[in-house]
Amino acid sequence: MDIKDRVLVVEDDKSIRNFFRTVLEANNYHVVMASTGTEAYSLITSRCPDVVILDLGLPDMDGIKILKNVREWSSMPIIVVSARTHERDKVEALDLGADDYITKPFGTSELLARIRTAIRHARAACLAPEGIQTGVYRSGKMVIDYDKHRVYIDGEDANLTQNEYKIVSLLGKYGGKVLTYDFIIKEIWGPNMKTDNRILRVNMANIRRKIEKNPAQPQYIFTEVGVGYRIVEPE
Amino acid sequence: MQNFIFLQRKSPGVLQQMSGDFLFNKFLAPKYVIISPMREHKKFLKKDICITAGILGIASLVALLLQRFGSTDTHVPLLFVLAVLFVSRFTQGYVCGIVASMIAVVEVNYVFTYPYFEINFTLTGYPLTFVAMLAVSVSVGTLTTQIKQQEQIRLEAEKEKMRGNLLRAVSHDIRTPLTSIVGSASGILDNQQLLSKERMLELIQDVKDEAQWLIRIVENLLSVTRINGENAQIHTDDEIVEEIIGSAVLKFRKRFPQMSVEVVIPTEFLMVPMDGILIEQVIVNLLENSVLHGKTTKNIQIVVNKHANRLIIAIEDDGEGIKETVLPVMFDGCLQSMEGEEYDARRNMGIGLSVCMSIVKAHKGDMKAENKDTGGARVLFWLPMEEEHGH
Repeated sequence: MDIKDRVLVVEDDKSIRNFFRTVLEANNYHVVMASTGTEAYSLITSRCPDVVILDLGLPDMDGIKILKNVREWSSMPIIVVSARTHERDKVEALDLGADDYITKPFGTSELLARIRTAIRHARAACLAPEGIQTGVYRSGKMVIDYDKHRVYIDGEDANLTQNEYKIVSLLGKYGGKVLTYDFIIKEIWGPNMKTDNRILRVNMANIRRKIEKNPAQPQYIFTEVGVGYRIVEPE
Repeated sequence: MQNFIFLQRKSPGVLQQMSGDFLFNKFLAPKYVIISPMREHKKFLKKDICITAGILGIASLVALLLQRFGSTDTHVPLLFVLAVLFVSRFTQGYVCGIVASMIAVVEVNYVFTYPYFEINFTLTGYPLTFVAMLAVSVSVGTLTTQIKQQEQIRLEAEKEKMRGNLLRAVSHDIRTPLTSIVGSASGILDNQQLLSKERMLELIQDVKDEAQWLIRIVENLLSVTRINGENAQIHTDDEIVEEIIGSAVLKFRKRFPQMSVEVVIPTEFLMVPMDGILIEQVIVNLLENSVLHGKTTKNIQIVVNKHANRLIIAIEDDGEGIKETVLPVMFDGCLQSMEGEEYDARRNMGIGLSVCMSIVKAHKGDMKAENKDTGGARVLFWLPMEEEHGH
């Protein structure tokens, strides 16, 4: 008998809960439901889910509060579901430690992909806690060689500069996950960099010119407008 | 005030923002400025004081000049009556007018009439001058205020009408897909035994398609809430053009995977101040319009050009093109233009396009549509490449 991944869905709307249950159970997840923040918090501590899907608009408390509380003692994957349209809210949730976000309305394939990515990252972080990336990352014709500090497109060296390589490898480390501008800037240039993200954008434009066929129709690195960047998932 | 309660079930903030008034102001008629009370009041007070001081100053100067050329006792009071009249006309309410008339009376008495530089209230006819000036300022003030109030009432009425029209148009656009969703869903529920599997899947597909259509409408309405403040203010950041287009194309691809989209963009690195989310919405709307209204569209091209400090983005397709009768009115919104034709929600480009137009206008750009000589439609918009006031 295989062990199913346990998903805790925190959502107050009955029909959306229904939808989550149907889709997730059909895809071989064990589903636990909570409809209020208090219930969610007690289930998170008692049932230790493999991934939490957290709606930010709950009747008894702001979802952000749960996120903050959980992050004080656990790094379990949390995917935030939001009906809020402003990218500020997304950036806030991500910077507070959410693993990913998904905006209502969303499709099932998108939801399942996010859950898979989140669980995979959590497992990978357990196996290699030191965070030093080795091996290669392969997607389509792009290969990131972490040992040689090189990125290859179609077998050819893309000739990235050191900072450009650092950005790509950082995205690769969190493959499939959106990274906010602030997070990338802090990781690459350190915490004292001013918050202007122009330098990152310029670097990204240069990276795209080196690795994408048409920078306006990227195949590898995607922009989440107003939030950050996401690299395609590895194969 | 009516709210668009269909938008989201639990987000009171959004609902409030989406109220009809708001939509009307920012979406249909950005040219009308609705004054918010406190801040504006202060601003007006400052402005009014300047106007009052200015006009009285000019009057005093002219009076001084006249004084040089002889007796001014008869002209000066008239001059100041005129000044008071202008003050009352160009300021808000009565206060400035009355203050101006007081100052004018004292000034006339003290400076410009015999005995000079002495206050003397026993002059013959002096009370008359005083009363006349006061009367002028009060009555002009009243008249001006009345005119302004009437203008306000007229605007309100017009606003009410537009709001009604918008609500009707939006309700119509939404009612059709809702009817289909409710109908299909209950059809499936009630006739499970009778329906063939194919028929059932067909109905479910319909539900999905209609819901997708609703999402499109709601996304458009929501993006309008990002345009706020008077004069349709938006918050712009420097954005890289290719990122915005790339992201828009990606979103479009999710909905229409069978369409071929090609982007032609200068290799140069283009950074333009804009609200990225809104411009992305404009591009997605235009791409979707190409598919939904071009009917036979198979290939879409996005052509980006830089021309004289303008960023020009054109969306070209190989569909049926735009009807000549629709071309001149297509950006006017859904209200007047489509009434005559068969009013089908699917053929109604109204909301999407007028949202595009208000977004582009809020960026101080413009938009136009034409048919290509080779067939197919071309819709293009441009944005200024630099902010007018710098950083």
